[in-house]
Amino acid sequence: MSTTTDCGCQPTPATYTVKDFRSNLKPIWCPGCGDYGVVTALYRALVNIGRPPHEIAFISGIGCSSRIPGYTTAYGFNTVHGRALPIAQGIKMANPDLTVLVAGGDGDGFSIGGGHVPHAIRRNLDLTYIVMDNHIYGLTKGQLSPTTPRGSKTPTSSYGSIEEPVNPLLYVLAYGAGFVAQGVPADMEGLANLIEEAIRYPGFAFVNIQSPCITFGEPDDQLKAQKTRMRKLAAEGHDPSNRLRAMELAQAYGTELYTGVFYRNPNPPITYDQHIRDRQAELQPTAAEE
Amino acid sequence: MNDLIIGMAGSGGDGIVSAGESLISALSREGYYGILTKSFGSQIRGGESSCRLRVATTPVLNPGGTLSVAIVLNWEDFMRFGGELPVGPDTVVIYEKKTGVEPSEVPLRVRPAVVMAVPMAEIAMKAAHALQAKNNVVLGLLAGWFGLGRQAILEGIRRKFGKKGPEVLQANEQAFAAGFEYSEQHPLGADYRMAPPVAVGVKRQVTDGNEQCAAAALFAGCKFFGGYPITPATEVMQHLQKDIWKHGGSLLQAEDEIAGIASAVGASYAGRKAMTATSGPGLSLKTEVLGLASLAELPLVCVNVQRGGPSTGLPTKPEQADLFAAAFSSHGDTVRPILAPISVEDMFGITVEAFNVAEEYQTPVIVLSDQEIAQRKDIVDAVDTSRFKLVERLQPNAQELQNYTRFRLTDSGISPISHPGMKGGSYLAAGIEHNEAGAPSSSGEMHAKMNDKRLRKLSPLLQRRDLFVVEGNPDAAIGVIGWGSIAGVVLEAVRTARAQGIDVKLLIPKLIYPIAEGIYQDFFRSLRHGLVVEQSHQGQLHRIIRMWTDVPKSFTSMAKSGANPITPGDVLQRIVHLSSGSASAPAPALNPTH
Ligand SMILES: Cc1ncc(C[n+]2csc(CCOP(=O)(O)OP(=O)(O)O)c2C)c(N)n1
Ligand code: SF4
Repeated sequence: MSTTTDCGCQPTPATYTVKDFRSNLKPIWCPGCGDYGVVTALYRALVNIGRPPHEIAFISGIGCSSRIPGYTTAYGFNTVHGRALPIAQGIKMANPDLTVLVAGGDGDGFSIGGGHVPHAIRRNLDLTYIVMDNHIYGLTKGQLSPTTPRGSKTPTSSYGSIEEPVNPLLYVLAYGAGFVAQGVPADMEGLANLIEEAIRYPGFAFVNIQSPCITFGEPDDQLKAQKTRMRKLAAEGHDPSNRLRAMELAQAYGTELYTGVFYRNPNPPITYDQHIRDRQAELQPTAAEE
Repeated sequence: MNDLIIGMAGSGGDGIVSAGESLISALSREGYYGILTKSFGSQIRGGESSCRLRVATTPVLNPGGTLSVAIVLNWEDFMRFGGELPVGPDTVVIYEKKTGVEPSEVPLRVRPAVVMAVPMAEIAMKAAHALQAKNNVVLGLLAGWFGLGRQAILEGIRRKFGKKGPEVLQANEQAFAAGFEYSEQHPLGADYRMAPPVAVGVKRQVTDGNEQCAAAALFAGCKFFGGYPITPATEVMQHLQKDIWKHGGSLLQAEDEIAGIASAVGASYAGRKAMTATSGPGLSLKTEVLGLASLAELPLVCVNVQRGGPSTGLPTKPEQADLFAAAFSSHGDTVRPILAPISVEDMFGITVEAFNVAEEYQTPVIVLSDQEIAQRKDIVDAVDTSRFKLVERLQPNAQELQNYTRFRLTDSGISPISHPGMKGGSYLAAGIEHNEAGAPSSSGEMHAKMNDKRLRKLSPLLQRRDLFVVEGNPDAAIGVIGWGSIAGVVLEAVRTARAQGIDVKLLIPKLIYPIAEGIYQDFFRSLRHGLVVEQSHQGQLHRIIRMWTDVPKSFTSMAKSGANPITPGDVLQRIVHLSSGSASAPAPALNPTH
């Protein structure tokens, strides 16, 4: 299978199939959890990318969603809560030849790990960061997450949350991420394409996946509802090279369910990992041969 | 004289520390050994500053105690350093005449051997027309009265000021000459001049522990550093960032200490030797990820340069009170051996050893340095790197990659480790407990087996007698233990005591944790009195040894809070006291098992 992407890059002829990327670990997610769709979309994207699994490092934090690397045949690292991004940056810096994927929940990425996100963005290593945003803490059984809507009653907010949620899309756009997209597992093909495009983007790429928690999430947040609520940015005529317009659209996070690419930098700057290679080559020409 | 301790204090603008630095460089070139320690008030710039320089014809073990020479540019500043610049009855005190204090009225508790008021500012103005040249007047005085490297100091002045134009250079040369001349015209009454250096063919360098740490890391093959600036550890990163690229490595100034250690763990997972460095507050932050490295069995070197704590504490002063925090860092049965250097020179070897232990046993290793070792300047012989062997992590062979099992339960506990990019080696590393293949597991049986595996790996380490310095008669009834920068103090005290005929022996652990029970037990066998000397209020090593071993009945602690110097004289006094009491003390007995 190969898909044409709208990023202009050449699709790689598939030499792998989904089976090559699926591990024999059985997911422990609840039946109906959106994360099943995410991992399936990821397999498809990786098939299209066409790199062998052992050249991919897949790093996550802690949470239901962070279990995902174990369900792939890539080199996985299921680390600690909130620290996937800095660990992934160390991996990419130590071996820039690897394809490095990072994943986690909204709590992992925007609460405990929130302080790392701006720095990962401004450094701009060639990483793909996938957040499975279910608006709740799944693993710890349903407490408030940084993206839980105001007013929500949860086991830690019996009288309703009295704080504003984080807007992950605006957050990363504001810090200057070069690739920002949002997808839903309800649109499997669209999601697989977005992940593939994110991996192909040369620099820090962010995909927010509204991945419903069937056990603790809101009923109108589930897959079925997503199908009717989602609005494809491409169909809305959005030009993804327009960053200001992307930010305007991103304001609707929490009310409108836009899917697709919000922003793709048409002139991606040199990545941090490329700077590292250049510096190593400049200071020690033999380093590249190592 | 063949052992001279000079202490100088002034305000920031007096350039007293820079004079100390010039002097130690000159003395190194002359062939002397020495240690320079600096001490500052809490202001970032300006404020009071001081330094101590101990110079000798043989290697210097510690900064020493009572000053042989005190240089006082102003009395208020000098007195602020209190115990750091102790004056005794044998001290020669030289002070700025402009302070207006009469020699008979200097604010000292003891009567020094010589008290001399010198118009330093006036000499500087006359010779150089610049007050800033005062510190070169001081160098001239020292060169004259104490016979310290006149030519080498002049060379240094030429090197330092040559770039600033002929006028500046001439002014400073004249200031130095004027100081020298003043000393000739005003003899001290007795001959205080240093013996000539004992010439040896080895190259010397003036260096500090942080610099040695960085140099050793590169020598050991470190390819990644992730860290966050913190006094007194920052220089490790500052040195590495210049050179690590040349070795094909990279460095990240992370957004905080957690990201610093996390990126290093990532680099290690990617198959490279990796390191982070910090001080107390940073160690507190790093502990969760340290535990991750322990459970995921990833090699990592974490340097912690101890400063005074808790919290921000005394950021610029030495203390040895992070031992508990390091030994018990991170929750659960985390495995993280701790090594400590005993001198600036030793920092090189200990850092190399830390990488070796980390790679061999696939574990995080903490190096407990301290502010003194990290930042004092020592004259040391150039490192002979041929004596080090480098260890690389055990990688799976082609056959093992056929059916790779990352956490295979081997006899040694060490299982071959792959890294991304290695075909056939894919596995799931995790902070969650796992089975041999790396799959998450919450079975109690598997957890016990894996805990045992991780602890078993370290058993050979506990037999490493080369990580302990032992001196003295093995049958001695008195035994002294010291570690880190205090080791040099204890060494000198024990040697002096033995020279005085006291039968005392010494144990200096460089492997601080886990406690090598057998090695301590052997040391304790002959003891009536054990004494642990350390710079922490609670005597942390003393307590940790008691947790793990059956100690002699008399096993006491000589411990002071950080920033309260422990001198060889203090320790000697304790040894003398113990030896006078030991004749009547009861026969050696060990405490029953605890
Ligand atoms: C330092 C630390 N604090 C708290 C936890 C407990 N914890 C585990 S996952 C989690 C939040 C999970 O939510 P999210 O990151 O959104 O992922 P999800 O489970 O919803 O996929 C928390 C609080 C932890 N493992 N570590
Ligand atoms: S608790 Fe929610 S997020 Fe976690 S596995 Fe179940 S459905 Fe998915």
